[in-house]
Amino acid sequence: MDALFQGLSLDYLAACDYAKTGKTWQVFLPASSLVKAAERLRVADWHLEDVLALDCAEGFVVTYHFAHFDKPGRVAIRVLAPHDAPNVPSISHVFDGALWHERETRDFHGVIFEGHPNLIPLLLDPDMADCFPLRKEPKSRAKTREMLEVGEVVYCRPSFTLMTPDAPAEGQESGGPAATA
Amino acid sequence: MPAELIRILIGLVAVAVSVGLIGLVMVWVERKVAGHVQRRPGPYEVGPYGLLQPLADALKLVGKQLFMPDNADPILFWLAPVLSFLPVLLLFLPLPLGDGLFTLDVNLGLLLILAFSGLAVLSLLLGGWASNNKYGLLGAARAVAQSVAYEIPLLLSVLAVAFVSGSLDLATVVKEQGTWPWNWNIMTQPLAFLIYIVSALGETNRAPFDLPEAESELTAGFHTEYSGMGFGLFFLAEYANMVVVCSVATVLFLGGWHGPVLPGPVWFVLKVSLLMLLLVFFRWTYPRVRFDQLLNINWKWLMPLAVANLMLTAFFVKLAQYAVVKM
Amino acid sequence: MTRYADMDQVAGDFYTNNFAKTAKESSLILNLGPQHPSTHGVLRVIVEMDGEYILRAEPVLGYLHRMHEKMAEVKTAAQFIPNMGRVDYGHALAWNWAFLGAVEKLAGIEVPERAEYVRTITCELNRIASHLLWWGAYLLDLGAFTPIMYAFDDREKVLDILQMPTGSRLTYSYYRIGGVALDLSEDCLRSIREFIPWMRSRLPMYKDLVSDNIILRKRIEGVGVIEPELCRRYGATGPVARGSGINYDVRRAEPYSVYPKVDFIVPTSELKDARGRYDVRMIEIEQSLRIIEQCVEQMPEGDILVKGAPKPSWKAPKGEAYFAVEGGRGKIGVYVASDGGKNIYRTKLRAPGYSNLSLFAEVSSGTILADAVAILGSLDLIIPEIDR
Repeated sequence: MDALFQGLSLDYLAACDYAKTGKTWQVFLPASSLVKAAERLRVADWHLEDVLALDCAEGFVVTYHFAHFDKPGRVAIRVLAPHDAPNVPSISHVFDGALWHERETRDFHGVIFEGHPNLIPLLLDPDMADCFPLRKEPKSRAKTREMLEVGEVVYCRPSFTLMTPDAPAEGQESGGPAATA
Repeated sequence: MPAELIRILIGLVAVAVSVGLIGLVMVWVERKVAGHVQRRPGPYEVGPYGLLQPLADALKLVGKQLFMPDNADPILFWLAPVLSFLPVLLLFLPLPLGDGLFTLDVNLGLLLILAFSGLAVLSLLLGGWASNNKYGLLGAARAVAQSVAYEIPLLLSVLAVAFVSGSLDLATVVKEQGTWPWNWNIMTQPLAFLIYIVSALGETNRAPFDLPEAESELTAGFHTEYSGMGFGLFFLAEYANMVVVCSVATVLFLGGWHGPVLPGPVWFVLKVSLLMLLLVFFRWTYPRVRFDQLLNINWKWLMPLAVANLMLTAFFVKLAQYAVVKM
Repeated sequence: MTRYADMDQVAGDFYTNNFAKTAKESSLILNLGPQHPSTHGVLRVIVEMDGEYILRAEPVLGYLHRMHEKMAEVKTAAQFIPNMGRVDYGHALAWNWAFLGAVEKLAGIEVPERAEYVRTITCELNRIASHLLWWGAYLLDLGAFTPIMYAFDDREKVLDILQMPTGSRLTYSYYRIGGVALDLSEDCLRSIREFIPWMRSRLPMYKDLVSDNIILRKRIEGVGVIEPELCRRYGATGPVARGSGINYDVRRAEPYSVYPKVDFIVPTSELKDARGRYDVRMIEIEQSLRIIEQCVEQMPEGDILVKGAPKPSWKAPKGEAYFAVEGGRGKIGVYVASDGGKNIYRTKLRAPGYSNLSLFAEVSSGTILADAVAILGSLDLIIPEIDR
């Protein structure tokens, strides 16, 4: 996987434990290199499973899950879109499947996918195009590092602080069902 | 000729009544057969064996509000179902149910039937066009293309029989045939019979050729917007048309009223019923063909076959005449 | 009627108007649905037609949208299980499983072995029911009225069996976090054992009844060819991908539960058309029977629910998890992310039909209306799943 993204401007690349979270790689990208990453995945025959946004304290973590028809594994490509200007480039010209997933994400979270040919409401009524049901109240937003798996870090841009600071101390993955009520 | 007029009047009333009755019976038969084909009992709540179910259905249809969509053409919209039903009554007039048992003695009976059955497509076209509905329009377009196409092999196959019999008078055609099945025209004209049945399915818009009303594509095609008796008349006309094509098939190919032991009209009704049952079976057995396939079947298979059959028939008929003259 | 020639432009809703902007001058814009016999519920497809030919098509979703993902935010994990039975009424247990698999993965809960077998058996039975439903409805789309009655006759037997342990017939919520709600009774197991040979005897009958029918073959052969490349671009999975020759089945690709222990083949077809997808589903019924047969034999005794199974008020630990199962329509994926709060922070449902349907626009353009219906049906759409 790190070979696949060679030369791309990455923020964070970590190998994850499939048994624990169901994915094998996690990649944080700056929005500018998202399309390039998608193109490389496309050439390597990965397919897009879904697109989702996670409304965290730091911004919308837009996650693209990719899987492969011939080999196991799942790659989560993540892009952080700030709350005040949630713009992410569209990858719909690379993966046509993203056309609907991106429209859905726009419906639910209001993330704008730049370059999407037809970014109109898909699942929600056009009359409520400005109502984003899955956006959270600012005070109830959780921090990214509290939820996302840290994984085995292969590369981390020094200026990238989303996952790093107190993540190892949390140990949320190794803790297992310790948080049971 | 008041006698002739009275005969026609009685005939018309009898036909109108019997068409209504046939409609009711056919609804029951169709639903019952469909039920048994599909491993379910079919209607059985209303009356013994569900026999009164069609009456209940008819009552429901009559009681329903007649509804016309906005911006539909009111005259054409209501004309269409009436127009679909009325010519059907005429079609029954020249049909000989038994020896001498017919309403209208015309020596061009066959022509009359074919000419008036051609009118049916007009009602479908009007209904589809006037309802201001896109499905209706598509259905109407299909109906026209289909009827125009299937009329040709139908006519050609009928013509082949007329050649053999040397007459367009239905009674004469029947008289030319004998009591036993091997004396019937189906033995000399098997191909014409096949072509006739297939094109009759196309003409009457019965499954698997029910494309003008293909409900999985066009919701209900030309009669999408009709409710109550507007729909009821189309429905009745469909069954009446079925009876007519089956009767004509009986007259032309299956020896009409001929048959051993039983009286003529009984045989006639029996044969027609069997053919009707066949059509009902078709409907509940086969998937629907696609529209381009439907036209392909016609233009690429039925038409050439019908033409070839007609030419062969003409050749042999001429040959036979020549042989007779020689002897 | 010329008075109303521009009626549609005036009366069309947001989607029609948006679609009509790029329409050609003389084409007909037709709304298939949301109430249409062959859209199986409330799918709406706007098509631009030239005569019988479809120039362009655009599915419009959302008529059955229930915002399950929002409901997941206001319910605890256990309370959300019944929702999963209502996402896809065809293969409800697979959705149960996908969600619970994700939650169990998140919490690190091991499911007892017997429960895994029970899940596999019931899920495969449900898959058979789902495929039978599809089979009947698809042929209904193609104008054959009778097969659906035969299919429902058999489906009824499956539902009777599933009713015994689950208590419901369509919208199951049978699995629990860490196991299942009820064990399979002896009675139920006997019915399953009786059902397997009976269903096997029915499959050849189906073939004789309709699969080999010339009209059917002409309707679906060569219709709606989907290249493997197209599946990859759109992320189509399940029988749609397998019908295009892609050997991809989540049960094999990301083995879960007891699937590695049972022997079954993943059918694929090189035909790539509606026929290929048809064949794949018919073989899958057989394979599901094989899986059930083996599971019934191998099933060990034991618990069906993990000790100390989570209560309804149970809070999921912090973390995230993605779990995928093979549903009747393809890969069902559920992503959960939890911040340790009362409810799961974010639940994302990946519906296979959603991705499968998204390729319809591309496949259907240039076909005729009847073919579009045949393609739509061959994708096996369950609208509540697509709209969620």
